[in-house]
Amino acid sequence: MSMTRRQALLSAGAAVAATSIAKPAIAAKDPIQVGYLPALTGPSSSTGIGINRGIQLAVKEINDAGGIDGRQIELITRDTQSDPTKAVNGAAELTHGQKVSVVFGPVNSGESLAVVPLLARTNTPQVHPCWVDALADPQKYPMCFRNGPTNQQIGAAANRYVVDVLKRKKVAVISDTTGYGTASVNAYVPMLKAKGADVVYQGNVDAANPDLKPELLRMQSAGAEAIMPWSVNAGFLSRIINTRGQMGWDVPIVGQTTLGSGQTKDLLEKLEYWAKVYPNNFRNVCYAPGGKLPERTVDFLGRVKSAKIDMGDTLLWWIALGYDSPRLIAQAMTAVGTEPKQVVGYLNKLKGFPGVYGNISFTPEQHNGYPDDEIVMVEANSLKDGAFNLAPGYSA
Amino acid sequence: MVESIVSTGLAIGCIYALIGITYNVMFSASRVFSFTAGVLGMLGGVLGALFIARLGIPLVVGFLLVLAAGAIFGVITEIVAVRPVLKSLDQHLYVLSTLALALMVQQFTAIEWGTEARPFPRLFDIARGGFDQQFWLPMLACIVVIAGLELLYRRTLVGHAFLAIAEDTFAARALGLPERSLRMASFALAGVIGALAGFAGGEMLLAFFGNAPLLTFYGFVPVALGGMGNNRGAVVAGLLLGLFQQTANFLVGGIFASVAVFTVFIIVLLARPEGLAGASAQRRV
Repeated sequence: MSMTRRQALLSAGAAVAATSIAKPAIAAKDPIQVGYLPALTGPSSSTGIGINRGIQLAVKEINDAGGIDGRQIELITRDTQSDPTKAVNGAAELTHGQKVSVVFGPVNSGESLAVVPLLARTNTPQVHPCWVDALADPQKYPMCFRNGPTNQQIGAAANRYVVDVLKRKKVAVISDTTGYGTASVNAYVPMLKAKGADVVYQGNVDAANPDLKPELLRMQSAGAEAIMPWSVNAGFLSRIINTRGQMGWDVPIVGQTTLGSGQTKDLLEKLEYWAKVYPNNFRNVCYAPGGKLPERTVDFLGRVKSAKIDMGDTLLWWIALGYDSPRLIAQAMTAVGTEPKQVVGYLNKLKGFPGVYGNISFTPEQHNGYPDDEIVMVEANSLKDGAFNLAPGYSA
Repeated sequence: MVESIVSTGLAIGCIYALIGITYNVMFSASRVFSFTAGVLGMLGGVLGALFIARLGIPLVVGFLLVLAAGAIFGVITEIVAVRPVLKSLDQHLYVLSTLALALMVQQFTAIEWGTEARPFPRLFDIARGGFDQQFWLPMLACIVVIAGLELLYRRTLVGHAFLAIAEDTFAARALGLPERSLRMASFALAGVIGALAGFAGGEMLLAFFGNAPLLTFYGFVPVALGGMGNNRGAVVAGLLLGLFQQTANFLVGGIFASVAVFTVFIIVLLARPEGLAGASAQRRV
């Protein structure tokens, strides 16, 4: 049978048409690529490793349940190695090479400071949990959302605890000389004063200074009733706690989450020195008076244990934060699809996303989604299964 | 307050003095200021904690392993960062080569050991008290090193050979002294002293990678104040530095203590550029 040129062209056209008609059906089953920028190696990787355990659990659960409209989530992971330069390279590759629909991370502020402006230029929706205040700004970065607290919220929670709960009015505020330390002191001291506290000591000290007794004696002679250290350096924090113990000074220490870390504990001369030390934490992942976790968290812990996720070397709030993030993104995509503008539009109206780590809400004007009242202080020496007891004074 | 200034000040001063001596021993053999001295101190603390606390190696064996590691790092420094630039000393390339090696080792330590300070084991099971072992151990180490170096340099043939190299490398080589071997031995000796400084001060400074730049800078001050290559000057200047720094901690506190230390350092060098105990260099014409 012979075929005329017209018939051949028609056949070819039909084939092309058939292919192009079939394509959306195949695309609908393609995985949804989600960019992910964790620090899995390098000096800041302990947080990233904990968060990663939650992320992997959530993605597995979503995919096992059928994915998003039948499409599986494919995490495209680029380890930042705790290095802002590598984080930028990873972000560029995710947006230009892989063309991911949305990016979660980086999970450390230093890397996010470099990555957030880059992702803003590529119009890629981004969710990150980093604390530096400038890292969520709807005017500058309209597609960037923060599902963790800001430094302001962290400081405010500690200040509330000292002034309103412990009723201490004379406060000593100390930090190391890092950017984080000095910025924290500069931000939190005016907030304390606005609450009516008298800041009787304010100082920045080199974190490597082996002897902090002169500083604590100065605080004591100024009449300090509470010490608020702002540093992520376990050596510096443990020296404050040890010196307070050596001096036999019964004053509460209230501040950064590192006060309750295992590294800080390892550096204590005596474990009893850890009493009356209250670091920041998050209400949903803390034991209320009576030793109970919220129901939502108990359910989550059960799933973590069923999945045989190691809890011994990490914190519950890191895993919970990781667990919530893909679920937040999946909820948006299930509702409005994967188009960046639609995802951002959905997130801009998100109200009370019920995370294990916290209830997240955004508005077009406010991309800081973590609620103030869920940031609490805990007893540093109460760590059990990655979670702490709420500090004295909080109700259940 | 006085008790705290004296005990902590003298202890930290002894650590600075030992790092200063580490600089000097390397300088005497090569005319090179190797900025790996602070890294040696840092390694003494980190390796001590690694061997004794983490790996559970007995104290004496762990201590000897730390000293051996210091000696090996000293030799590596000589081979990798010093020997290649000896021919162009006037271009001061050693600043770059030794700093680069120091930074590499510091970063490697940060990656492998971690960026958090970790506990250094308590060496003797003695109850904590006013004049604790964390204070007297650095002092003891300093006394042992000073006495050992005096004996080595004054009573032994090898010590005389070290002095000959330090005095005039070309003349010593002309006399048939094995200059390269002696230089390597000097770097090994410096490695032992630097590691000892970090080990003896481990409980005070903790096992922390960030101690490297601290010791590099504060260990250099006794060298500059005491006169380059002058060990006795380094000891006196190190002790004075420790006492002054601790006094400043009490009197002005915070970052102002560091400012006070470096202000005095600059004033002294402006008044006596050759250092407090150093002699003006004579130029041959």
